[in-house]
Amino acid sequence: MIRTTAVPRPVRIGTALLGVAGIATLAGCAGGATTGDAAPADTAAPAASSAPATTSGNAAGGSTASGTYKDGEYEATGQYATPESVETIDVTLTIAGDTVTAVKVTGDPQAAESKRYQGEFIGGIQSEVVGKKLDEISVSKVAGSSLTSGGFNKAVDSIKSEAKA
Amino acid sequence: MSTPLATGSIWTFDAIGTSWAIETAHSLPSVARDAVSTLIERFDSEWSRFRDDSLVSSLAEGRIASVPAPQDADAMFSLYRELDAATSGAVNPLVGDALARLGYDARLTLAPWGAPQPAPTWSDVLTWDDDHVRVTVPATIDVGALGKGRLVDLVLDAVRSHVDGDAVVDASGDLAVRGAPVRVGLEHPYDPTRAIGVVTVADQSLCASAINRRAWGDGLHHVLDARTGAPVRAYAATWALAETAMRADALATALFFDGGPELAASWNAEWVRMRTDGRVEWSPGFSGEIFS
Repeated sequence: MIRTTAVPRPVRIGTALLGVAGIATLAGCAGGATTGDAAPADTAAPAASSAPATTSGNAAGGSTASGTYKDGEYEATGQYATPESVETIDVTLTIAGDTVTAVKVTGDPQAAESKRYQGEFIGGIQSEVVGKKLDEISVSKVAGSSLTSGGFNKAVDSIKSEAKA
Repeated sequence: MSTPLATGSIWTFDAIGTSWAIETAHSLPSVARDAVSTLIERFDSEWSRFRDDSLVSSLAEGRIASVPAPQDADAMFSLYRELDAATSGAVNPLVGDALARLGYDARLTLAPWGAPQPAPTWSDVLTWDDDHVRVTVPATIDVGALGKGRLVDLVLDAVRSHVDGDAVVDASGDLAVRGAPVRVGLEHPYDPTRAIGVVTVADQSLCASAINRRAWGDGLHHVLDARTGAPVRAYAATWALAETAMRADALATALFFDGGPELAASWNAEWVRMRTDGRVEWSPGFSGEIFS
């Protein structure tokens, strides 16, 4: 999954939208966690009821970028079904220099259950977090996945060398 | 990345396949170190599915259908029941064979034997009481969802029975703190030189889980959905705070699935999780800071 960082930017936009589909899944209380994953981009398309429309233009018409996307804000509305109703989510992407610089998700929950999911159990959502360099923050410990030691590292190394051979 | 407590000592070692650091205000006497080593060896010999001579391996291979109940069996399996209920079956202590099938087996084959297969319904297969743990068919118990947290709790108790004052047990990803608070960075799962946020841990435990290190191929890593036997894809990393490391570890696992946030709310526990698309969610009232 580390590959995600290497995904070309246009695809990343797709995954950002899919993330919204992920929320929809959560709110709909549907099945497994794997349903909201970053998979083929077309799974998001059926959920969108209106095509992305360029709106505001504080970044004047992609002046610098020769890239795939014009700078600006893009907005889309997606819908998802819950056991109680059909819910609507508005997504605004801000793009500058072919990079998504902001994602804003606005929910309009109608079902009681959706209100619960978006309010009671999840305190906040931040669009793609780049984070800070560890040497810029003063911490005495870092918590992430367990470091691997001994056998696992050797086994991974041997698989890599077999793959090269 | 660790700095010692003021005037304290750090003891580092490798055990159960990862690195440990125990920091104490006063240096640990050798009797305390021996007690910790004995404890870890005992736990490993009971629960490690990577050892031929462990209790869980004897159940997995069908050599025996019943083993004397390890002293942690009831605490861990009882918490698994809560995880199972909260995640609608996504977390299951019999996920060991599904992990092995994808290559994360006792030999560390790290190559899938076949397509993912769901874990068996564990309430049909596994039973336990004060004396025994039993399986009705050979099945591989894997307590990865909370076992390391349990061991951190046991180690912290052992340490504190020998020395007074501040103590930190850090089992790389699972951290228990007593006394002086510790400021901890939340490691970015895609860039270990960065943190996505920071939280202060005081007289509690912080456990982290992520799919980036115990990974061995295309989409293959150690966090499986037991209902499908396939690795999860929606979330890349989770962090949870709780009174015990076992509960924090359990919650960090549950947060890879629907139902994790509800379980956290029922335990009044704080958490953070990052989706594979880079977006970050956190609990209502999260006391730490998430960077933009």
